[in-house]
Amino acid sequence: MTNASTAIEAANTEPPFLARLARHQEMALLLCLVLVLAFFSFTAENFFSVRNMTNVLGQASLALTAGIGCAIVFISGEVDISIGSLLATIALPLIIIMNETGSLALGVSGALLFGLIVGCINGYLTAYAGINSLIVTLGMMFVLRGGVYLYTGQRAIPDDAMLDSFILLSDGRLFNVIPYSAVIALILLFVFAYVMRHRPFGRQIYAVGGNPEVARLAGYDVRRVKFVCFIISALLATVAGIILAARVGSAQHTAGLNFEFQVVAATVLGGVSLAGGIGSLWGMALGVLILQFLSNGLRGLGLPTEWQLVITGMIIIAAVAFDEAKRRRANGG
Amino acid sequence: MPADILHAAESVGAIDTSVPALEMRGIDKRFPGVLALEGVDLTLQPGKVHALMGENGAGKSTLIKIMAGVYGKDAGVIRIQGREVDIKSPRDSLRQGIKVVFQEIALISEFTVAENIFLEGYPTGAGGSIDWKKIRNDSAALFKRIGFNVDPAARTGSLPVSQQQMVEIARALAHEARVVVMDEPTSSLTPNEVALLFTVIRRLTALGIAVVYVSHKLDEVFEIADTVTVLRDGRHISTKSVSEQTSDTLIQDMIGRRIDNLFPRKRGAAGTKVALSVEGLSTAKKLKDVTFEARAGEVLGFFGLMGAGRTELAKAIVGYDPITSGAITVDGQPLTPHDTRTGVRLGIGLLTEDRKTEGLMGELPVYQNASLASLGAFARMGFVDKAKERKAVQEYVDRFRIKTPSLTQKIKNLSGGNQQKVLISRWLMRGLKVIVVDEPTRGIDVGAKSEIFALIDRLAGEGLAVVLMSSEMPELLGLADRIAVMCEGRITATMSRDEATQEKILNAAIG
Repeated sequence: MTNASTAIEAANTEPPFLARLARHQEMALLLCLVLVLAFFSFTAENFFSVRNMTNVLGQASLALTAGIGCAIVFISGEVDISIGSLLATIALPLIIIMNETGSLALGVSGALLFGLIVGCINGYLTAYAGINSLIVTLGMMFVLRGGVYLYTGQRAIPDDAMLDSFILLSDGRLFNVIPYSAVIALILLFVFAYVMRHRPFGRQIYAVGGNPEVARLAGYDVRRVKFVCFIISALLATVAGIILAARVGSAQHTAGLNFEFQVVAATVLGGVSLAGGIGSLWGMALGVLILQFLSNGLRGLGLPTEWQLVITGMIIIAAVAFDEAKRRRANGG
Repeated sequence: MPADILHAAESVGAIDTSVPALEMRGIDKRFPGVLALEGVDLTLQPGKVHALMGENGAGKSTLIKIMAGVYGKDAGVIRIQGREVDIKSPRDSLRQGIKVVFQEIALISEFTVAENIFLEGYPTGAGGSIDWKKIRNDSAALFKRIGFNVDPAARTGSLPVSQQQMVEIARALAHEARVVVMDEPTSSLTPNEVALLFTVIRRLTALGIAVVYVSHKLDEVFEIADTVTVLRDGRHISTKSVSEQTSDTLIQDMIGRRIDNLFPRKRGAAGTKVALSVEGLSTAKKLKDVTFEARAGEVLGFFGLMGAGRTELAKAIVGYDPITSGAITVDGQPLTPHDTRTGVRLGIGLLTEDRKTEGLMGELPVYQNASLASLGAFARMGFVDKAKERKAVQEYVDRFRIKTPSLTQKIKNLSGGNQQKVLISRWLMRGLKVIVVDEPTRGIDVGAKSEIFALIDRLAGEGLAVVLMSSEMPELLGLADRIAVMCEGRITATMSRDEATQEKILNAAIG
């Protein structure tokens, strides 16, 4: 009995704040980010300026937004690599509807509806038809990309409506400092991070990814949870696509090429496990920022893009290997 | 109204005790090739502990899984408080207040203990946010109340199995329950923890909750249960008050037939030539200093409870799992290097416990499954001579009476017993000296079981040394010439067929 009461006391007295913080794996990532920032601040010219920082944040907003969905799908134990093609595809309904009607609201609605349909198809084929999600979304990636090619040919479809509100999405800055796209990404990040941590549905996603059989025994509808995750992923990719379309001012077939792999890389770097059930959106966000600042800084140093790719690739493998080693030790096997 | 151990006062009254808490009538369940349950009845009275007993494969787990909504039933009705209900998923079952503590740990290992306790329904506060404070406090209070010593803030996966088992039990009590089912809940608990568990069970029954207690351990059943139902081969055999049963009558009900009839022994006495010798064998995880010999023509049985190390031993002696020390000699030749390639060359093979993942190539035809280990014998200039291959397989199909429409049938479509025979052919074709058989009758129905027994008898009769790992005592008592008993990775006793009794074996297995 004395043992039992000490255990309960131990549970009720919270450990010191810093110790609790250090237990989170996000701390290691935050440290990495600080190191990257510090390194380039000393070595690269104009790196540590408000202008450059907020620019990078604006560039990172696409990957941040889509990364939320990518991470959620990973946590549910699946993958979604159709987001890059979706990014390009939803620009078509968006731009076409805006050009026809002159309404941003209608254009965005059209884009979201398209994203919703794609998400439903991915989710249905994976969760209900039981097809491997890598295959489903790989197929979807080709179908969408091919569709855009078919529709646009080699030319871009320009945004003729030139709506102020749409242009603001790419050029506008909150208080003239933070790009609106980054504001949107951060709001979404906070909302979904809250959902994942503090709403029953968020916890269900972790449970489903952590152990689907256990989740089913606890009364969860595993298939529905996965289905919804794919819809979330597609809708967030759509939002990212809208921001991209505003930035480039047109719908074009090369938009978002390889985008899915940048997002997957950042998500994995952020400690979200492909096996499901492990990781957090904050980790994903730090992963995105680390890669974005890294590439920006390397460019500042005048390193060619080829080298950026090589370095990024090595960092990702090292990070995941480190994670894996840590996990193995924690599980004592 | 279901009752809730955390909030209820400790007296009957929450639950109507005049009608059965749960009634199952004429339950049938069919799996491909096996009739797992046939017309099974079970009636649970509120406030009583109902023990469910039977040999492995008797249908206890299937019955529980139907109750829990894991499997659907093929026929029969389920009534709760006299009302017929349709349980199609675990969710339906939980809603009816049926809480099952499964034998395999069903917890999310990345979650904290407290979160796992409330997995099935998170308490939410303002605006639907999860009330983490309530989860922490309630789970701590629950553990305090039932006296289990588990840290609610710990990551579940980092806890030892016994603590995870306690978390499982506590979880069943965190929500309102009408029926609590415990499947072998004490398999990794210490005697003190078992005593605590029994206190908890008595408290549950005081609240009017019906408890189903599944166990192999007779003393536990006599201590805690009011009523005991015995299943055998998927059928209901008896339901009696515990006071009307004795150990002997219970075992009689569970085994139900004279062992001799099921195990026709045709072979003669074992030879004297040592076919397999194992000395001082240890592995990193389980086995400690295991030494034994098996002679040609002998069936050497190994018994052990869950986790005793039978499967580990089976895998180590055929070269599949690495060893840290010790020597294995097959037919006079040392098994070095320690791998399956050498093992097969020397003539030792494993008939695995896990047919599906380690034995069968489900999508491949019968003949390819049978010839897998001996393709070299059918090869001509690097190509397999199909005609020769099929002819050889056909011989075995005839000899063992393997029921298959054709040699090209996918093996996954065969019944469990016939699959097992194909796998045995695989090894015989290779010309083995020693065959290690791990749980050969798992998931196989009774008719096919006795055929497998006859086959093992015949293998020994043909001069093979058979090392038989089993958790079913009658199987060992009926088949083996000698029985070695394992406990926590060691051999704790070896006895001849004549000296062995269930009691002696069990005593040695408990250690």
